[in-house]
Amino acid sequence: MAAGGGGGAGGSSSSKTYSFKVVLLGEGCVGKTSLVLRYCENKFNDKHITTLQASFLTKKLNIGGKRVNLAIWDTAGQERFHALGPIYYRDSNGAILVYDITDEDSFQKVKNWVKELRKMLGNEICLCIVGNKVDLEKERHVSVQEAEAYAESVGAKHYHTSAKQNKGIEELFLDLCKRMIETAQVDERAKGNGPSQSGGARRGVQIVDDEPQAQSAGGCCSG
Amino acid sequence: MLKLAEQCLERARTTADKLGKPDVNSQSPEIPNSSPAVKTCSASISASMMSQISVSHQYGHRRACSDEVQKLSTFPTPEVFQMLRAAEIQGYKKELTPLEEASIQNQKLQAAYEVRLARLNPRQAAQKTSLTLSLQRQMMENLVIAKAREETLQRKAEERRLRLQEESNRRFSKNKQMTPAEEEQKALYTAVLEYEQDYEWPKVYTEKIKSSPTDQVLVSSYVCQILSTSEHPIAKLIIHLQCQIYNRLYPVISKDTTQETLTSNLFRHSLPLDTDPLSALNTSQIRSSKSLHCISGPPRPSIQHSRSIGEGLESWENPRCTQQSKQEMENSFEDLESLLSPTSLTMPAALQRLTVAQHLHVVVKEIHNARDRLLSSTMLSLNLPSSPQVKEACLECLEDSLFPPLWPALLALYRQVLFSREETLLQVMDLYSTSAPSVVGVPKKLYPEDIKEPYKAAVEDLQHLPHHRTPQRKLECIVKTLRVICECTEEYCPNPGTAAIGADDLLPILAFVVLKSHMCHLLSECSALEEFIHEGYLIGEEGYCLTSLQSALAYLETLPVPPSPPHV
Repeated sequence: MAAGGGGGAGGSSSSKTYSFKVVLLGEGCVGKTSLVLRYCENKFNDKHITTLQASFLTKKLNIGGKRVNLAIWDTAGQERFHALGPIYYRDSNGAILVYDITDEDSFQKVKNWVKELRKMLGNEICLCIVGNKVDLEKERHVSVQEAEAYAESVGAKHYHTSAKQNKGIEELFLDLCKRMIETAQVDERAKGNGPSQSGGARRGVQIVDDEPQAQSAGGCCSG
Repeated sequence: MLKLAEQCLERARTTADKLGKPDVNSQSPEIPNSSPAVKTCSASISASMMSQISVSHQYGHRRACSDEVQKLSTFPTPEVFQMLRAAEIQGYKKELTPLEEASIQNQKLQAAYEVRLARLNPRQAAQKTSLTLSLQRQMMENLVIAKAREETLQRKAEERRLRLQEESNRRFSKNKQMTPAEEEQKALYTAVLEYEQDYEWPKVYTEKIKSSPTDQVLVSSYVCQILSTSEHPIAKLIIHLQCQIYNRLYPVISKDTTQETLTSNLFRHSLPLDTDPLSALNTSQIRSSKSLHCISGPPRPSIQHSRSIGEGLESWENPRCTQQSKQEMENSFEDLESLLSPTSLTMPAALQRLTVAQHLHVVVKEIHNARDRLLSSTMLSLNLPSSPQVKEACLECLEDSLFPPLWPALLALYRQVLFSREETLLQVMDLYSTSAPSVVGVPKKLYPEDIKEPYKAAVEDLQHLPHHRTPQRKLECIVKTLRVICECTEEYCPNPGTAAIGADDLLPILAFVVLKSHMCHLLSECSALEEFIHEGYLIGEEGYCLTSLQSALAYLETLPVPPSPPHV
């Protein structure tokens, strides 16, 4: 059922608020935690860090007048937890798959996840494949060409980032949000203008109650 | 004339009986020194009496008392459940109708008459006759006056009812065909109107809400007030729905406690309330057979991508039988339909043929329906402003009232469905209870050697989960547990402020905390929570925490039994 229904437009009033769930996948040491932390602490400071630290993060955006609530779900990348992926990424609108450009193995892992995601969620989910640690360009083991060709072949977008130098991260998320909005709009149109009930209701409903996230302690991100 | 007097006396007597009964009933559960069996017997008898009197539900006396008592070990029968529910918010004395008042008066008269008669000399026959006649006259008069008063009152009530009926007709368009649901809503609406005529406080609330329609706190306190007032139609509706759901649950969960000794072993381990000495005796015996069963089991398939418990769990439980049970499901479709009608209480053959998982499916559906029905009826009949915030506040109050009495029974059903998984998990918990955090993948830097019981605070928080009684409170408890874990890591970290753990660290720690909590029924709690979590929370922090807890549980289930020798 999660494979159906588009992105969440929980429009109660005149202006819409989209709520999107994005899962973060990647092997242990590829730097996905620093990537989201960098993104969420960068602009609006620690306000967006929840008390769950880097595991679960939220961010509010305004893209061309459209309000977007992002919920970023980190997943455990260790092999021993691999089978648990599906309970995390069901109902996701987007997925960010991170690999380390200096680690060929982490790129292979990304390929596995892509296969699984497509199998579970079909084409509804927006995929981003991210080569992190471009500050270590000299030690690159995954060729740019190969990575980009692969991404294209599976209908994903490819990005290069450096969490350390804060490169490419803002663009990555902005781009992802725009794509998720598009997908959601296509979905709305397909559904017609009828009352948006049941069908996609499970996905991306508006989070009315986000106070507990807003007033976080956030002492974790000062370093 | 004498005949008439006889009739009067007869009437007085029957009314006296009728009035006397509830008193007897209310005393019976408090009989001192009576054994529990006797208590429950009398309770169920009085419950069935009460239900015969009450208009809304009429359940007969299903089984003989002796049968009843044996099955009462853990869960009350539906009859007792109903009575308990009614008693919980009782505390309101019903006003007497004029006729009842008159018959009480007549009883007194008659008593006085009998006393006087006894004092009379047998020879004073004339006086006796005059006494009898005057008694008869007075009783007659009382009754006639009472009857007239009652008729007037009834006429007035009827007029008012019609007026209110019209008012609700105006609200519900009269012309079009109404569905049963709409009929029900209309009836409730009328009942609420009628209630509001008699009492002042709902009007005060309604006015206040009108002037500040976005005040969630106000709505909450209004709805809570209503739900704690036993005479309010909405409070009555909740009890009615609870009893209906409980009736569905009871046959399955009560069957289990008598048949499955294995279950009680499992229950004894995890639930504090169950202290069956018999099952303790058998523990070692059961253990060995259990472990055999577990090891030879097929490898667990990867987690199903499904939210509907019925099919999802079944296929998870046993992939081979899915096909078959699906077919069964279709075959028993008609049976299911008949089950869904609230009147059938005697355990039909159809009910017995259903698997436990199918039962769960039916019950879950019914609870969802009940919740939706309650919410829409309440919003409508109280004329609440239809903003999402108000709706949410209203739903929260309704759930706080709807779930607590049902949760233990619901959990018991979930535990039956997830029985073999809980068994496996329990075994893992037993075997790994003294293991170091590294066994489940917690990195060394996150559990300093000098701390005696790492993450103890989180374990304690998690252990509170069964004591919370609504899905919302339980979810809050889970969120708190994960937050405390994060706080602990910060504390343990050598250079504070740099921890910022992600899921790579959080999940193993959570698995460790679950292991230490030693609660295998978390599996069932989580499945039930997943079913009843609000959609709005699904992708938020609550949803994330619940998902993490489920993942940790699923991971623990896959740990090798017996533990493989430590390497690394």
